[in-house]
Amino acid sequence: MSGMKKVVAPEYNLSDKIKTHAYAIGTAMEESVYPHTATVLYPREKKKMPDNFRGYILFDPDKCISCFNCSFVCPANAIRMKEAPNNRYYPTIDYGKCIFCHFCIDSCSGGALRTTKIHDVAYKDVDEMFTSTEEMIEPPEIIREDKKSVEYVIDETDLHLKRKKERDGLFVEAVPPVEIPMVSQCVDRGSCLACKICERVCESGAASSVVEEATMTVKMAIDAEKCTGCGLCVKECSMQILRLVRVRK
Amino acid sequence: MKMAAETKVGEAEWEVKIPEKKLKDRLFFENLKAMVIDTQLCSRCLTCVSICPGGLLVNEEDVVDFPDFEDKCLDCGACVRVCPRYDYKPKSGLGDYIEFTAGQSKRFKGQDGAMGTEFIFSAMDMGLIDRGIFVDRDEQWRTSVFHVRGKEQLEKLPLGGTKYVFADILPELKKAVTFTKKGVGVVGTPCMVSGVRKLQEEFPIFKEKVKLVVGLFCTENYHYAEVSKYLIGKGVDFSKLIKTDIIKGKFVATMTDKEVKFKVAKLDDILPSGCSRCTDFTAVESDVSVGSVGSAAGFSTTVVRTETGKEVWDYIKKMGNAEVGEGKVEELDFLINHKKEREKNIQL
Ligand SMILES: Cc1cc2nc3c(=O)[nH]c(=O)nc-3n(C[C@H](O)[C@H](O)[C@H](O)COP(=O)(O)OP(=O)(O)OC[C@H]3O[C@@H](n4cnc5c(N)ncnc54)[C@H](O)[C@@H]3O)c2cc1C
Ligand code: SF4
Ligand code: SF4
Ligand code: SF4
Repeated sequence: MSGMKKVVAPEYNLSDKIKTHAYAIGTAMEESVYPHTATVLYPREKKKMPDNFRGYILFDPDKCISCFNCSFVCPANAIRMKEAPNNRYYPTIDYGKCIFCHFCIDSCSGGALRTTKIHDVAYKDVDEMFTSTEEMIEPPEIIREDKKSVEYVIDETDLHLKRKKERDGLFVEAVPPVEIPMVSQCVDRGSCLACKICERVCESGAASSVVEEATMTVKMAIDAEKCTGCGLCVKECSMQILRLVRVRK
Repeated sequence: MKMAAETKVGEAEWEVKIPEKKLKDRLFFENLKAMVIDTQLCSRCLTCVSICPGGLLVNEEDVVDFPDFEDKCLDCGACVRVCPRYDYKPKSGLGDYIEFTAGQSKRFKGQDGAMGTEFIFSAMDMGLIDRGIFVDRDEQWRTSVFHVRGKEQLEKLPLGGTKYVFADILPELKKAVTFTKKGVGVVGTPCMVSGVRKLQEEFPIFKEKVKLVVGLFCTENYHYAEVSKYLIGKGVDFSKLIKTDIIKGKFVATMTDKEVKFKVAKLDDILPSGCSRCTDFTAVESDVSVGSVGSAAGFSTTVVRTETGKEVWDYIKKMGNAEVGEGKVEELDFLINHKKEREKNIQL
């Protein structure tokens, strides 16, 4: 058949044969004195994880803008938003459902969710796997027995386990979210009720209204300088006539 | 509604004109209440409820109300801007029309010729709208309102057919207007049709998104609590009820095993005050009106009034979606006059 490569067995001459035999005997002797393992001796050793390892998820309420993105995106329906005492909604994760896709972290607008290299949390029952917001802020209690970290190194001949007498850090800085500057804008001014809900919900004082009794008009304004683009007014506007638009530089 | 892709900093300012108050120093809700609700003019069309950003609602007694209005009314005046009865200019007669005809849908079953349903679905097939607002009912004939986006929904739900109880159509229409891509079609009684037109006059979003308004002929409608009590007293078993109708002055409730019939005049005691002050029988402000009187049994009288109504009607004929019948204008005279007489009940 055309297009197929014929595999030809390498031809060994005598000196090659002696070399490979010697190598095999050498390796056998080495392994009988100081055996290598292809497995990690967990928990005394731990594999070194990359920084984007998809592990246990931590949460920083100060960065959360309660946008619900994480709960909407979660394909396993593991995230539920719960009302906190400060009337804000924050995520909770049910680890009985979480599939560790980390879509939530990728979708987090505020950079409030971040990964860790923790992958070995033990629960005594399914109920305990439901993790409240408070439990997500601090890492779980960790007892570390590992003294060495192990790295897998692949060179052209073989796979090696490189052991180092150090502990791999479990925590990773959150990747700061990419900010796209947006401001709220009214796209259908004629349909505005002047209900001023936007003004009420705006936390940065960007949406404002002035009532002119004499002419029975209300002057509505959204100050783009003050607007942080949080989108609260867009969500709450009773006529749904506000949109977030990109700021032209 | 076009969305600007980008904006320049500092250009977002606009003005909103709010109406004069008839009762100065009072909230707009108090104005609405004094002028419309307390004067028994309110038709329960719920135009005000649909637009109110505060908390205007229809209460357990089926009356428009605003609990805690002192705290929650935002005094925006939207309610009085849209209420068709705030500056009530009663409409009556047959109204303007392009074509007075009758139709029987070949695709759907309805109250009469199912033209109410046919107009919405043909408009959907034409690509004019992507959803229609229909009235659904439960086993007890309590109404709920449904957004219909495809024909298969009709197979499962009793969406066609007349329910002689008020339905909260306009609040759903408002939601639909904010969701829809192409446009919305709505079927409603004359008071609701007037409400939709007010919404369209006041707010461009309704003008742009409500593409088809089908009006129903209507002498009156009833409050659920009252009419259900009356019907149960007359031996109507709701779980067996399949159709309610008013034919030649008689209320007919058709059940799986029997029929209950009585003169509609018997229901005068529970005639809602808003209906007793309503003079519009044919929904003169609609794009197209459909009704029972004025055509043979099994057909819906069809009054095509506007260019939009005509476009859909022409499409229905072109596609052969309906049998065309004959509409007899003079058969409407009695009910048109009957309702015109209600002018005497209106004291403005
Ligand atoms: C309260 C009421 C009173 C009426 N009074 C008369 C009358 O006196 N004389 C007359 O000739 N015709 C009257 N009609 C109209 C008639 O009953 C039929 O609705 C009309 O002929 C259309 O029939 P159809 O088969 O073409 O519509 P269908 O295809 O059956 O569609 C009927 C439409 O009516 C809507 N509907 C049902 N109940 C209600 C409700 N409670 N409120 C608003 N919409 C509703 C449904 O959602 C549907 O879209 C009345 C209708 C109503 C709702
Ligand atoms: S919330 Fe919307 S409708 Fe209300 S004042 Fe603001 S822009 Fe206008
Ligand atoms: S909030 Fe606005 S629409 Fe609602 S009752 Fe008050 S004035 Fe009327
Ligand atoms: S007539 Fe309609 S808009 Fe006016 S108060 Fe009654 S329900 Fe509201």
